[in-house]
Amino acid sequence: MSDTPRSPLYFAWRRFADNKAALVAGAILLLIILMAIFAPLIAKTGYADQKFLTQAYAFPQAEFWFGVDDLGRDFFTRIVYGARVSLTIGFTAAAFSLVIGIPLGAIAGYYGGRADWCVMRLIELFSVVPPLLAAMLLGALTNGGFLTIVLIAALFGWVQVCLLVRAQVKAIAQKEFVRAAQALGATPGYIIRRHLIPNAISPIIVGFVLAIPLAMMLEASLSFLGIGVPPPTPSWGQMINVGMNFMYFYWHLAVFPTAALAITVLATTLFGDGLRDALDPTLKGR
Amino acid sequence: MIRYILGRLASILLTFTVVSVIVFLMMHAVPGGPFDGNDMPVNDAVKAKLNASLGLDQPLYVQYFKYMWGVLHFDFGIPFQSPGETVLDLLARAWPPSLILGGAGVLIGAPLGILLGMAAALRRNTWIDYLASAFATLGLTIPVFVISMALIMVFAVWLNWLPASGWGKPNAWVLPIIAYAAIPMATYARYTRSAMLDVLNKPFVTVLRAKGLSERRIIFQHVLRNAALPMVTVFLPMFIGTATGSIFVEAMFRVPGLGAYFVSSIELRDYSLEMALILMITMMFCLAYLISDIIYALLNPRIRFGERK
Repeated sequence: MSDTPRSPLYFAWRRFADNKAALVAGAILLLIILMAIFAPLIAKTGYADQKFLTQAYAFPQAEFWFGVDDLGRDFFTRIVYGARVSLTIGFTAAAFSLVIGIPLGAIAGYYGGRADWCVMRLIELFSVVPPLLAAMLLGALTNGGFLTIVLIAALFGWVQVCLLVRAQVKAIAQKEFVRAAQALGATPGYIIRRHLIPNAISPIIVGFVLAIPLAMMLEASLSFLGIGVPPPTPSWGQMINVGMNFMYFYWHLAVFPTAALAITVLATTLFGDGLRDALDPTLKGR
Repeated sequence: MIRYILGRLASILLTFTVVSVIVFLMMHAVPGGPFDGNDMPVNDAVKAKLNASLGLDQPLYVQYFKYMWGVLHFDFGIPFQSPGETVLDLLARAWPPSLILGGAGVLIGAPLGILLGMAAALRRNTWIDYLASAFATLGLTIPVFVISMALIMVFAVWLNWLPASGWGKPNAWVLPIIAYAAIPMATYARYTRSAMLDVLNKPFVTVLRAKGLSERRIIFQHVLRNAALPMVTVFLPMFIGTATGSIFVEAMFRVPGLGAYFVSSIELRDYSLEMALILMITMMFCLAYLISDIIYALLNPRIRFGERK
């Protein structure tokens, strides 16, 4: 046994590396992210270019890997650009979830009592209204669009982050070093910022990663219903909706977006699960 | 216990009121009204008359209180998209197909999920465990319309074993029921696996083994009973969750159920129906959580209400 001290990060990495499914999922996710970033280099046309109108509905072949869609656009290009939409919405919505969830969770966990009661009632409110129904209503109110979907997803994504942060803060707020800070006259705001939130970094990361697939699913669901990302911006949910009409004749229009969405959501979830198990072994299996 | 339930009911009433106000305001804030559709244009005078006859010209708070007063008397108004019946008539007609399919999905999915979870927990870290976990993750992460799409592609389009849509013949019900069953199965597989692993690691199981009890009796009489607790609590909310799942499943399989009305009521500004649907689902979720908590407490004497920790 060596005596060199190992950082907690090292052990977290060791636990993560032991989880083969999470490792593979992380690699796939990375690949999808790279694909989204370098979409203009991978795709041969713009995502809305109707360059192949005469070959509309063409099946997958050497020239068009995923075929051509009903409006004469290269379907591979559409799928690749769809990753941009899906990932951007997933990550920004998760970031907004943190913006709402961290302060509320920290306040509820630190102060307890009445503040906690209020936050928990708020969470209850969000847990009894089905997100999809509220999202549909909000979507109709604001006419859909990119930012709206991000905000709607964040509005329902913060709950999990908030609960995770609240539990962690509640546990740490009783520790001696927090007592010491209080005794030294630190203000609650300072304690929360300086001591509690940095110590809740694991649940925050976990909450962030797990909020991503939820947001991506919400976007796909709304776009599938026609109140999400408006065309011609490519969204996998929207493509599935269109593909559904042609599935008996042109299977590729339904199969590829379905597979793309399924693989991306699955990879993100497995990666998040693995991260959770690695960063916080006590939460394992939840 | 009674005090706890009364407190929870008060809290539910508060939630319900807040939700109803927010939904009502949001609903009316959406631009356009029920008679602004393009397929049947009406002139302004007629529109004003129609709105007046339905009370839509009154101030919003009057409309709100009128509607909620009706709700208290189980009068949810008239759906503008089919004015020949009341909202309750429409629900009585459209809900049964959704209930049958969703209920069958849950009733088939839940036991399958429990079996899968048990198999995974008892054969931990073998291929059975990995397969079960893979199934569970797939069911929980993939949107239900993607699952439906995959089912249709494989069983209706390629294999041509079952019809892709319809309602007439019972064989058309098979695919939607499988689609509904995916989420309960996945949820139960996950819950059962983790609950059983939790219990299997408890010292009392070691004691039972040391006493020489057969593994079968340990599993069925002791482990499963203790692991069943968290499984009971998710059942009711999951059952009600099929109502919103119906939006997608029924759109994919063209089932004449409740699902389509969620979308159309919002699109057509069908205020009464929209309000009725959201209020009912909200209320059912509230009550489902309450009932689940009560059942949990009844089954688990270790939980006592009203005592401060």
